[in-house]
Amino acid sequence: MKSKINSFIIHFVMIFLALVWVYPYFWLFISSVKPSDQIYNNFIPTKFTLEHYQFIFNSADKMDRPFIRAFFNSIFVSFTVTFLVVITSALVSYALAKLEFKGRKKIIDFIIFQMVFPAFMFTIPMYILIRNLNLVDTYTALIVPSMISGWGIFMMQQSFKTTPNDFIEAAKLDGAGDLWIIFRIMLPLNKSAVSIVSLFTFIGIWDNFMWPLIVIRNYNKMPLSVLLASFNTQYGAYVGPILAGSVIQTLPMLIIFIAFRKYYLEGISITLK
Amino acid sequence: MNSKSTLKRRDARKGAAFSSIYVIYSVIFWGYPFVWLFVLAFSKWKYFGSPKFNGIYNFLKLFNDPVFWKSFLNIMNFMLYFIPLVLVGSLLFAMGMKRLKYGKTFVGLAFLLANISSGVAYSIMFSKMFSENGPLNQMLDKLFGVRIPWFTNPQWALFSIVIIVVWKFVGYYGLIIYSGLNSIPKEVYEAAKIDGATRWEQFRFITLPLLNPSIVMILVFSITLSFGIFTEPYMITGGGPLRSTLTPMMLMYTTAFQKMDPAYSATMSILVALMSFGIIWLTRKIVERDVSLT
Repeated sequence: MKSKINSFIIHFVMIFLALVWVYPYFWLFISSVKPSDQIYNNFIPTKFTLEHYQFIFNSADKMDRPFIRAFFNSIFVSFTVTFLVVITSALVSYALAKLEFKGRKKIIDFIIFQMVFPAFMFTIPMYILIRNLNLVDTYTALIVPSMISGWGIFMMQQSFKTTPNDFIEAAKLDGAGDLWIIFRIMLPLNKSAVSIVSLFTFIGIWDNFMWPLIVIRNYNKMPLSVLLASFNTQYGAYVGPILAGSVIQTLPMLIIFIAFRKYYLEGISITLK
Repeated sequence: MNSKSTLKRRDARKGAAFSSIYVIYSVIFWGYPFVWLFVLAFSKWKYFGSPKFNGIYNFLKLFNDPVFWKSFLNIMNFMLYFIPLVLVGSLLFAMGMKRLKYGKTFVGLAFLLANISSGVAYSIMFSKMFSENGPLNQMLDKLFGVRIPWFTNPQWALFSIVIIVVWKFVGYYGLIIYSGLNSIPKEVYEAAKIDGATRWEQFRFITLPLLNPSIVMILVFSITLSFGIFTEPYMITGGGPLRSTLTPMMLMYTTAFQKMDPAYSATMSILVALMSFGIIWLTRKIVERDVSLT
């Protein structure tokens, strides 16, 4: 009996806490569809309105804050980087996991060595490199510094190693080339590593803030995160539109997360090894 | 025999070709910045002309820079709140999860949703929720008649940032501990029960030691995270009030891109990295134990 009551209390507390944890999202969403004067006052608004979203999509353009463009900038940059990271990681991992060549071991050691250094040490020198290459205010500046990931190669390489060589030998007998083997055999057989790398890369780039803040000053090329931040500092009084913008910034991450949540949990358990 | 060795040689050539993608990229986008980092640390340079060697001047200046040490103390202060809170929080979360029969997925997802929140968006969200007349203060006012200066009082401002970072990470770290808990075999507890161990003794002498690897990992993650805090203070407090939320990252950013002194900022980044390595090393030294069941 006592343990039953205990169990009930634990269920109650945990579910209550879970609700508390999602409450900020709920508040954010509800507030973004409330009339301006009710955001802080009425918990349940007297009416729902899409005026803040309309503002974001129509009027913000005239204030030099092209939100729709920024949204597509973010989509473009995040997808491109994710795509490039997956392709390059696959090519390099295949070499590291399945081909014998001199220096293989050294490259793997170097990847691990590289991961020891915190990213913030490279921010300023990387900016100098981008500046010397005349790439400030370009999409290239957002894409190229992240297009190959040591972490991505490492994760995929670990997974590729577990794929039996028989698959590769069989494909070779059928006359398959290396690229065919990598993209038609290795990628599908290592779906979960590929998904983990794509998921974390996409979320990381979508949410990246400091780097685009440094290299992009042109409002037309800003990703959503930076545009939203600059709108927030300059037009702080427009609370409704700011919250609507935050919803738009959050949604793609939530959608991708919910679609790939299985791999997210796997990613957590892999980092443990 | 002959064809086998040509195959091998072809493999070696292909391996070198594929991995050269990474090697060449690393030379340009890792090696070049890495060299610049150290050139900058020992020179005077303000974006124009070529860097002028000035020995260890930057380091000397840094050691005597009260603002830099303030930012370092801020991050220590931050960790003083953050690490115990997030550690105890994630332990409790994991043990709660372990005892759930229903709604496990729901609870896990709810906490993970916090973890994948966007840095900019969640900073905005909390700055509005915690604002002077925001919903949280209104509720506190109604219930207890108090209003908390969340982001306007120096100590509170830092602590409020701690709260929102804990909100973001406790579920993620909790799940790391949870999978650590799951790897402890039931038989160990059963044997302990037969020996008459109390609940607390079981926790103290079985659970805690066997969770050591997960706990060390969380400590390393949270120290790394603390030294990298940027978006929250940038978005919410701008480093204030009274520089109480000025983190090393904020200081590096303003030094390099507002005060236009990239050389000094690069020097800071080296010292901050060394200090974070030092603290991680010390933590591992103190906390890490070699544990195994065999």
